[in-house]
Amino acid sequence: MDYYLSVATFAALNVTLALGLNLITGFCGQVSLGHAAFYGLGAYAAALCSTAGLPFPASVLVGVLVAGGVGAIVGFLALRVREDFLAIVTMAVGFVFLGVVRKQRWLGAEMGIANIPSTLSPLAYGVLSVGAAVGVALLSLHIRRSWMGRAFDAVAQDEDVARSIGINVARYKVIAFFLGTAAAGLAGAIYAHLAQLVVPDAFNFVQSITILAMAVVGGLGSTLGVALGAIALTLMPELFRFVNDYKLLVYGALLVGVMRFSPRGLAGLVQRFSGRALP
Amino acid sequence: MYYGELLLVGLVWGCTYALMALGLTLVYGLLRILHVAQATVFTLGAYVGVLTATQFGSLTLACIAAALTAGLIGPLIYRFVYQPVLNQPPFVPLVASIGIVIAMEDGFRLIFGPYGKPFDHGATLSASYGVGGLNVSAIQALIVVIALALVVALNVLATRTRVGIAWRATVGDRAMAESFGIDVQWMRYLCFFIASVLAGIAGMLIGLLNGLVEPGMGGVVSYKGLAIIVLGGLGNVQGTLIASLLLGIVESFGGVYLGDYMDRDAIAFLCVIVVLLLRPHGLFGHSR
Amino acid sequence: MTILACTALTRAFGGVHAVSGVRLTVERGELVGLIGPNGAGKTTLLRLLAGVLVPDSGSVTYDGLDVTRMPLHRRAQLGRVMTHQIVRPFRGMTIAENVTVAAGSHTTRHPWRALRTVNSAKARDRARTLLARFGIADAADKPATAVPLGYLKRMQLARALALDPQLLMLDEPLAGLNAVEATQLADQISALHASGLTVVLVEHNLHEVTRISSRLAVMHNGALLADGPPDEVMARRDVRDAYLGTGRSRAAADA
Repeated sequence: MDYYLSVATFAALNVTLALGLNLITGFCGQVSLGHAAFYGLGAYAAALCSTAGLPFPASVLVGVLVAGGVGAIVGFLALRVREDFLAIVTMAVGFVFLGVVRKQRWLGAEMGIANIPSTLSPLAYGVLSVGAAVGVALLSLHIRRSWMGRAFDAVAQDEDVARSIGINVARYKVIAFFLGTAAAGLAGAIYAHLAQLVVPDAFNFVQSITILAMAVVGGLGSTLGVALGAIALTLMPELFRFVNDYKLLVYGALLVGVMRFSPRGLAGLVQRFSGRALP
Repeated sequence: MYYGELLLVGLVWGCTYALMALGLTLVYGLLRILHVAQATVFTLGAYVGVLTATQFGSLTLACIAAALTAGLIGPLIYRFVYQPVLNQPPFVPLVASIGIVIAMEDGFRLIFGPYGKPFDHGATLSASYGVGGLNVSAIQALIVVIALALVVALNVLATRTRVGIAWRATVGDRAMAESFGIDVQWMRYLCFFIASVLAGIAGMLIGLLNGLVEPGMGGVVSYKGLAIIVLGGLGNVQGTLIASLLLGIVESFGGVYLGDYMDRDAIAFLCVIVVLLLRPHGLFGHSR
Repeated sequence: MTILACTALTRAFGGVHAVSGVRLTVERGELVGLIGPNGAGKTTLLRLLAGVLVPDSGSVTYDGLDVTRMPLHRRAQLGRVMTHQIVRPFRGMTIAENVTVAAGSHTTRHPWRALRTVNSAKARDRARTLLARFGIADAADKPATAVPLGYLKRMQLARALALDPQLLMLDEPLAGLNAVEATQLADQISALHASGLTVVLVEHNLHEVTRISSRLAVMHNGALLADGPPDEVMARRDVRDAYLGTGRSRAAADA
């Protein structure tokens, strides 16, 4: 029971992370290769708060706001640079986050922060994680149908034309970053209390790419697709035990395969065969 | 004197970055692809180098083997991964490239073991020379000399040979080049061959410098290479070379002065962010 | 009543003055044709007026407001809309969706409101009406990539109108169209003008542009050469010289 709960909890956290990235990259078309940094920001911020004595809800809120706040700043940075550069800048943000955190004594340097107070049972964390995932999913689905989603889509397709029809491209890019990174921060805050330990290496470039792989395999732009992709990639190393040793090999090969044969992921395949889009 | 040492170390790093970044900029200039998978041929070159050197005891042979193996794999990556997706948005080849890096790091770990192979540089390269009061190790000297030689050779190739001229024509205007009878496909294979040879040699040299070859050694170098070509101006060869050397030196000095606040790798990336904020087109802008 | 004005507008590209010291005013209800030989600076001037390019010196005012540095989306919101010579549809959308987004773009002005608003019925209806008006309703549900240029040009116009503009700036709206299509589109632009819209357009098709304009402004080498009613302007010696001198191909283009 414990094992299944644990897997379900991590799947839910991954769904939250991947959906956050989907908002930024899938909905608004802004490539982000540093998503794990915001996962880490949420985790570290929440860990510090709880270790300092703040109640759990407050710590989570701080985690969300710190991640979202920094995310909004990165969003502003994104305004300055062209598409090719954005991938590199977001990658750079991830490395800078990691490099700085590794050296800060007050953040525990390489050893991270341990003994984070945990007030809830594993079951409660499971429910909370699933709740977060469902919440972010519902928000995504709603955004997609709303005029915010239409604005994101216009920005993703052609910024210049979007501007010329009166859409404030800059504002929507920053909003996308804020929402997506806040979601990552939420996942991070929950994770910190669940694991009761945060170390820098949990939020490195490989983690960013893992989240990207989940979103890409599922199909960027499709909430359902990305959620399924995240679940599938979380379950895969568990279902196929031997895969666990070659996890990265499989993820990498999946990325190459998906890009080569179906860049729009699972959702793209569904659309091709059934003619209908996966929401 | 201390500054001299830092400068030397930085220069040496810069030379290896230059070899890596040069390949990246060549590929970007021709195909607009961020070829992060350079990391794979870099690491491959290092492994082939150390294995050949251990087996046959000759570093020259190792270097040739590293270069050729890398040079063989590079074009294959182009043929089977990039070519099918050339007409997709730039996100697609980039993600595929990253996929290769991630997958192959694990692949190397599985084939060669996670702990890395020690690279013993043998007696000849253990020497060190005194140059103007500085202690220059043979390896450091070797790296600088080889990097210089390769850059000069590349320059000669680009400006004095028919192949080089055909190359520059293809980069400048593909359709025109084709109408002059230049085989664009061949140019692409050549591009990846050259870029990979440079990376493979760079990998072996770094393996020698650190005395160790490990599965993940290519990743960060390649990502930094991306940062460098952005700083140097995408597609701008001279800019890339200058940015490579500058970064090596900044890392060297930065490692000492900023080492308490961030680790060495983060310095490079911080530079990219800061520079792009101030000059959104890189330090030197585009070549076109 | 002046709706658009610019003074001493100058813009250079690497040493070449594309536009130098241009002074132009446009009154409400005019249809101003901006013409001139190749390289005269017409498109550059239009882009400066529209805000796509920033001038090196000089200013642009719209309805009395200085908009020289105003961001593009704000201008569109204020009622000044420009279309591009090379038609750029949203490639991932259908023809109808392209126009719907524009029809409802005012909803996106406040993100919170945009988030709350799911209903797009009004915008969709508006779009369909506009598509019908321009005679392309039959292509409404086709992807923008699967439709001929004539349709795209009209979609672009529909999209521009969806924004309820007071001023329309068109960059070579007739380019790439055959004679029949060009006359039809010119007629539609003329009809828009008749209904009260102010229009400024750049065109090479002299036949059509002299037919529908209330005023012609001729550019040559970056400066305004002539400015007045079409027949007067076209009768001027220096205008004819400017065209014949630099553009034998003009005759071929107008045929």
